[in-house]
Amino acid sequence: MKISREKIGNAEVRVWRGGKGAPLLYLHGFEQHPGAAPFLEKLCETFEVCAPESPGFGQSSGLDEMHDLLDMALHIRAVVEGWDRGAVNVIGHSLGGMFAAELAVIAPHLTKRLVLVDPFGLWLDDEPLPDPFIQAPDALAKLKWHDPATVKDEPSAFDQTTDGSRHTFRTINLSAATKYLWPIPDRGLARRARYIQAPTLIVHGESDGLIPLRYSDELAKLIPGAEMRRLRDAGHYPMIEAEEPFLDAVQSFFLVP
Amino acid sequence: MKFHWFAEVTYPDLPLEPRPGHSAWVTPDWKLVDPAKVGETYRMFIRLMQQADRDGFDGLAVNEHHQTPFAMTPSPNLLAASLASSTEDAAILIIGDSLALYNPPQRVAEEMAYLDCVSGGRVIAGFVFGTPMDSVFAYGNPPIELRERFHEARKLILRAWAEDKPFAHNGKYNQLRYVNVWPKPIQKRPPIWVPGSGSVETWDLVIEENYCYGHLSFSGLYSAKPMVDAYWEYCAKKGGDMNPHRMAFTQLICCADTDKEAEEKYYEGVKFFYQSNMIDPGFITPPGYTTVRSAQAMAERVKASPLLKPEDRMRAARGQMSFWEYDEKGYIVAGTPQRVAQRLRELAKDLRIGQLIACLHMGNLSEDIAAMNTYLVGTQVIPQLRDLWADEPDHWTPEVSQRRMAARAAKKVAAQ
Repeated sequence: MKISREKIGNAEVRVWRGGKGAPLLYLHGFEQHPGAAPFLEKLCETFEVCAPESPGFGQSSGLDEMHDLLDMALHIRAVVEGWDRGAVNVIGHSLGGMFAAELAVIAPHLTKRLVLVDPFGLWLDDEPLPDPFIQAPDALAKLKWHDPATVKDEPSAFDQTTDGSRHTFRTINLSAATKYLWPIPDRGLARRARYIQAPTLIVHGESDGLIPLRYSDELAKLIPGAEMRRLRDAGHYPMIEAEEPFLDAVQSFFLVP
Repeated sequence: MKFHWFAEVTYPDLPLEPRPGHSAWVTPDWKLVDPAKVGETYRMFIRLMQQADRDGFDGLAVNEHHQTPFAMTPSPNLLAASLASSTEDAAILIIGDSLALYNPPQRVAEEMAYLDCVSGGRVIAGFVFGTPMDSVFAYGNPPIELRERFHEARKLILRAWAEDKPFAHNGKYNQLRYVNVWPKPIQKRPPIWVPGSGSVETWDLVIEENYCYGHLSFSGLYSAKPMVDAYWEYCAKKGGDMNPHRMAFTQLICCADTDKEAEEKYYEGVKFFYQSNMIDPGFITPPGYTTVRSAQAMAERVKASPLLKPEDRMRAARGQMSFWEYDEKGYIVAGTPQRVAQRLRELAKDLRIGQLIACLHMGNLSEDIAAMNTYLVGTQVIPQLRDLWADEPDHWTPEVSQRRMAARAAKKVAAQ
């Protein structure tokens, strides 16, 4: 994949692009853009992939203009409009899942099929989410991975030559994420989910401790016709811990005739 | 040199032994607390501050914290209201209202104006960001928004005091069609103090606006020195006002007739104070509360000048220092009025401080000891230090308080 710096409105964001085929937009999660991650490279074998970094994350600017989630959804809409491929397939992971769902709400004409992976967006009073921002590293690893011991190199857009320290990179990313997730990661998706027209698949790692499985079960009930696919032996990042079943699931969903 | 009486309103009866998962901030258990005892504690602090007003303090300081037995003052304005109508001369130092937490923010303009009217123009308007525990955890503001919310509120409050006609405010976080604050303060614009923890952005603000800055830690001279020195250096470089009255500093003080008596009377309270301020690490540095630029600068300063070792900080927090080690490491200034005055003089000169926020009650100290502390510092320490910075004008305490304190001093001289 190649990285480009692109002007979207007043923001300058990094975009990872690669592959050939049907257009596929990938929206990253709350911790970081995964860079040219193996699962994205594999998607490039079948799709033309566009994976923008969200404003305020990593080296991408424009957070100042994101007053709320609508601004962010409109920003992503501008990315898709600039791409000029008409309606595109969309994968949104974690916080990116919240963004992807909002994109589908405001731009049905640009959202062909929608995959939400362990998405944020709901709040269930009887099963509160753990606070993702206060966890010590060990505790966070336990929450986000099915098996922390097996995960070695987490794919990341971190660039040692330009990003300073990993700690700074992480702080920048999480700061931007607080805009949409703090103090409760509910910005009204439950009210608006019924406006999603794109065929939708929700993929959820069964061991996700950051967002329990029930959250996706509930969201699937709110999105008309949504399908639900649970992946075993995977936590918040099924595309990493269960790469093959993940790719099978999204490819067969996008490639329906 | 000015002296402001202060104490954290700490609940005195909680067990201090470590409890797994317990944080004294944000998530402490209420179940061991007796609300009647809380009420008694509030009344004790009001009495002590009324005494401080009589004993010669320039100001009575109240602050804002939430969800903690360490400092049970969710609204400093409420405590200030008890003082505004029952004290005579001392400034009412509100240090301060956490601007991002008032919705809409003209509530701050109204309440501070009310307090200024009731007190006859004695209010100092402290505007604070609030600790992470207060502003982003207890009150739920996304940390990335806190600075913007603070500044929008600050500008709105200042304009609301200045304008004599209604105006509209179309902000990012507040939309108000008719801003028309009643009452307005007696002082056209009360003195403004903005304390900070070393963020460069806050330095720029206080230098540009000529506010009084404050370094309000409880860790004393050696902990503060790298930060405060860096601030003054920055201020000089930017051509800011170097008047020491523009700098406030908090210091725990334990004064008694003899050094031995000081140790006997205060040691338990000091240990209790530090031990009851345990914070879950998850609540200390939420992402976005401090800008990356400031976080890096702060880390460099601490690295560059390790006057206080991390082990020392840990032992101080755990109550593992001897009384005199707390004193030697700067956490407290203890002893006879003579010794306390001498050490405060050194401290004030070293850090270039014109406003000392003197913490004269700490932890579970009894009222009679705090009253003795207040009396000794007010009548025997403060008079020794009045010459410090006397040649520099003080634009950061209310004129009426300064006038009345001067008249009192003149009367005393005449009586002798």
